Amino acid sequence: METGVARTLSGALAARIRAGSGVNVYACYQCKKCTTGCPVAPFADVNPAQIMRAVQLGDEARSLDSRFIWLCTGCETCTTRCPMGIDVASVMEELRILARLDDRVRKDMPFAGILDLNYRSFRRWGRLYELELVVRDLVRRPKAVPDTAKLGMRMLSRGKVRWLPATGSPRQMQRISQAADRIEGQERAEAKAAAAGTPPGAGGASTRGGAS
Amino acid sequence: MSTLAYYPGCSLHTTAKELDSSFDATMERLDVELAEIPGWQCCGNSAARSANRLLAAALPANELAKVKDDMKLEAVAVPCAACFNRFQNANHAVGDEATATDIARVIGRPYEGGVKVLNLVDVYHDQVGLEALEARVVKPFRGLKVACYYGCLLTRPPKVTLAEDPEYPVHMDAVVRAIGCAPVEWDSKTDCCGAALSLCEQGVVDKLVRKIITNARERGAEAIVCACPLCQINLDSRQAEIKKADGAWVDMPILFLSQMVGRALGVGEKQLGVTKTMVDASSVLAWPDGGVATPQGLSR
Repeated sequence: METGVARTLSGALAARIRAGSGVNVYACYQCKKCTTGCPVAPFADVNPAQIMRAVQLGDEARSLDSRFIWLCTGCETCTTRCPMGIDVASVMEELRILARLDDRVRKDMPFAGILDLNYRSFRRWGRLYELELVVRDLVRRPKAVPDTAKLGMRMLSRGKVRWLPATGSPRQMQRISQAADRIEGQERAEAKAAAAGTPPGAGGASTRGGAS
Repeated sequence: MSTLAYYPGCSLHTTAKELDSSFDATMERLDVELAEIPGWQCCGNSAARSANRLLAAALPANELAKVKDDMKLEAVAVPCAACFNRFQNANHAVGDEATATDIARVIGRPYEGGVKVLNLVDVYHDQVGLEALEARVVKPFRGLKVACYYGCLLTRPPKVTLAEDPEYPVHMDAVVRAIGCAPVEWDSKTDCCGAALSLCEQGVVDKLVRKIITNARERGAEAIVCACPLCQINLDSRQAEIKKADGAWVDMPILFLSQMVGRALGVGEKQLGVTKTMVDASSVLAWPDGGVATPQGLSR
């Protein structure tokens, strides 16, 4: 990544992140403590500190479209260690949510597909149906069959595979998830409209107290 | 006899059955009654928080509201570290008024917090108590060296988990000491195992797992003790692949804390789930009778 080149200068992305996560990304002064503790930074295209900088500049290509956000395990080390108390992991989470909303989820990052299948699965059944998730993932990524099959056989022989879905209370799940979709969808649409045209550094208004 | 609400979560009925059965057995022996939350649903796991924040907070809040209003209980046992984290997050989220209002609209009733959420370690350490636990031990481990692996979600982020020392927690170490183990001091106790990346980025997970297990071994551990279904399966299952790349690899048994406690309390092999692990852990659970004969393990 070339350094010192600002591709864009807009506060719109930062404002959306603040609206969704409560995090003010401008509090970051690039100490890189998040990056030193990050378990997946060595395997990614950019690191957490670079993401924070990109978000400050409104650089969507280097944040929303990064490989990093689909490698982040949510281990929360960055959030725990940030000297400014920034919930860095929540920013990564927010970027995943925004990538989904804006329909720009990377197709080449398998973890993105797995999270999506997982989300659909527990919403459908009330509980996560792991076998369904794995099979649907393999249909999308036939190359993964050998690796997954090996683990699958080991799990199978130890009675750790459940063939049929365990239904919690699908109607209850449906009611809750539809209500959440409606309320969250409305709030996010409003936040996106309000964020457009925000100058950098302004940060935008926080509608949430940092819940993640 | 005390009563705890019980939220098993999805993993305990599939990939981590031995956590469920061994936990149940230890609770029975320690006079804690578990009342499963009726019609419990998925906590939303890491997928909900990557798609819909409100749903991610509302799902566990809905379970907590059931515990408080329907079951009239003050605390819930959540042995899966990932579920525990989501439950604590819901308790944290309702501290914000606007979020609490949205959650109430979603779940159809107010939940303002107040239900205590206990993870696997908390149940033994706080609910049962170390003295009471020690008093019930019939088969102590007699100085077996183990590494207590906390992973990420038991302690981080501390504003959510309320962990006292997120970088170097010691409460699981205290629990294993009460059952006769000698916990080792080590560096990787709160490192990340790679979590669900094991479904797609196995190369990354293998590197992380390898580092964690190697550190435990260097510090003299004979086994690693976990309190998270995903940590356990990653550390346990990836060793077969690591071994293929490294012929000199020595297997490290990976067990749940509840299996260790259960063994010390005299729980039978079936409920302990001795045969469920990928790396053979039977010698650890048999220790010191027919156990691994290394001089380090006899240090106590």
